[in-house]
Amino acid sequence: MLKYLKIWLASMRYSVVRSMMFRGDFIMWSLVELFWMAVSVAAIAVIYQHTDSIAGWSQFEMLLLIGTSMLVQRLLMGMFWSNLFEMSRNIRTGNFDFFLAQPGNPLFMVSTRKIDLDSLLNTVVALAIVIFSAHKLGLDPSLGDIAIYALFVGCGLVISYALVLLLASVSFWTIGTRGVESGYFTLYEFSRLPKQAFSGVSNVIFVWMLPMVVISNAPANTLISGLSWSDTLWMLATTVIWLGIGIGVFRRGIRRYSSASS
Amino acid sequence: MRLLFAKYRHVFNVGLQSNIVYRWNFAMRAAFSMLHLVFVFILWGAAYQGHTEIGGFSLDQTLTYFVTLLVLQFFIGAFNEDYEISEEIRSGLINQFLTKPINYFVYRFTIFIAARIVSGLLALVPLLLALPLLGEYLTFPDEVWRLMLGLPAAFMSAMIQFTIAYIFGMLTFWFLEIQSFVILSMTIETLLGGQIFPLDLLPDTIYRISQFLPYYYQMYFPAAIFAGRIDYASASQGLLIQAFWVVALLVIAQVLWQRGLRQHTAVGG
Repeated sequence: MLKYLKIWLASMRYSVVRSMMFRGDFIMWSLVELFWMAVSVAAIAVIYQHTDSIAGWSQFEMLLLIGTSMLVQRLLMGMFWSNLFEMSRNIRTGNFDFFLAQPGNPLFMVSTRKIDLDSLLNTVVALAIVIFSAHKLGLDPSLGDIAIYALFVGCGLVISYALVLLLASVSFWTIGTRGVESGYFTLYEFSRLPKQAFSGVSNVIFVWMLPMVVISNAPANTLISGLSWSDTLWMLATTVIWLGIGIGVFRRGIRRYSSASS
Repeated sequence: MRLLFAKYRHVFNVGLQSNIVYRWNFAMRAAFSMLHLVFVFILWGAAYQGHTEIGGFSLDQTLTYFVTLLVLQFFIGAFNEDYEISEEIRSGLINQFLTKPINYFVYRFTIFIAARIVSGLLALVPLLLALPLLGEYLTFPDEVWRLMLGLPAAFMSAMIQFTIAYIFGMLTFWFLEIQSFVILSMTIETLLGGQIFPLDLLPDTIYRISQFLPYYYQMYFPAAIFAGRIDYASASQGLLIQAFWVVALLVIAQVLWQRGLRQHTAVGG
């Protein structure tokens, strides 16, 4: 366990050094992410110019929801995103051999190769949006609520990780996986919607079958109206199930992997 | 003149064929767009709860706008032309054009048109399949002038889309990677191009300013004409501003191409 932690810390240090070497790039990409977040915030501001509520959520409740959704996404981007999609490329080229040969759990070695500093930096911005919204709403969460919020964000990160692992593992079976990345972004859009906006078929598919809605709704709800047991159960069950599916598919994929030669 | 036409007709045919190869790519993109449309329907449906209109338009009119936008995107939007051009410059593929009587811009634009015909038609397939569900929301105005002004507006939008992508491609002469520039500009485009909300919902002054920017004419303008969000007077005035941007961007593209070639060193043989 300690060994793995050391490995992770070493890759982090390496990534930081690397980012500082390519400073221009780092600044550019930080800006890119900042702009995307600004777009979402602006969208909310404009829509609420014309209406007071979306599915019963006020402007700052909605902003808190979106801030939470961003927070999870930035964490995912910062820690795992490029590692997992690099794996997808490596499977195609055969470079994946290199990871299998390393003395460690291949999934761990693949997932923690590097971190993206620009995304991690922007988690601060996402967090600021959450705190700002909470302040505007006059919320006064207890330390316990904040701890639960953090735990739920952590669960959200695990779910997102599992989802992306699942998408990236498709490479074990197919050659081209272009478009899979944009698939994730399209799906993740749904995490910006309050649960109450869904009804009928969309409720079954997006709220219950797919995990995006719980990722943002459960933590945001906890801050806004305190801990609810149903949310906790929903969140924990979703985390366990999706992580199980993600790892399961990855393992099956590895068994199928037969390297590539040129 | 006829010779010129014949030359690029071949380019067009090659473009058609090579893009049909990517039909699954486009089909997948279209499928994701349908998913995005579901998101849009749920979001706006929730926003309209308790309102019969927002910004003077009904829910159906707003949804019609987003469907129009989706269709236009596949017919006139630039997809990865910027990266393709960038790659051709980096790899030295453009060298062959320097010695032949082919204009690189016209060559790429011809391929772009072929590609959009393929992707546009492909995107119609899932949309037609969903029509039984979508149909009840769609409400297009029936004035004829909307078609007369909308079609040239859509064509000029395609030119603006392509020329901006081309300009980003030209940056390869000076910069190693253009991806961050492209994505940075895409964020502005998403917002000021009307992808997230119809621009007329913006506060008045900002809306006025946006009408003078090229982003307004990339997609929003023709979509707003077709979906009935702007009237005749502002549509015809808009066409003039749009024409100005087409010319201005073409000039910038040409200047960058010429300056870029001076930077460029053709390596190898």
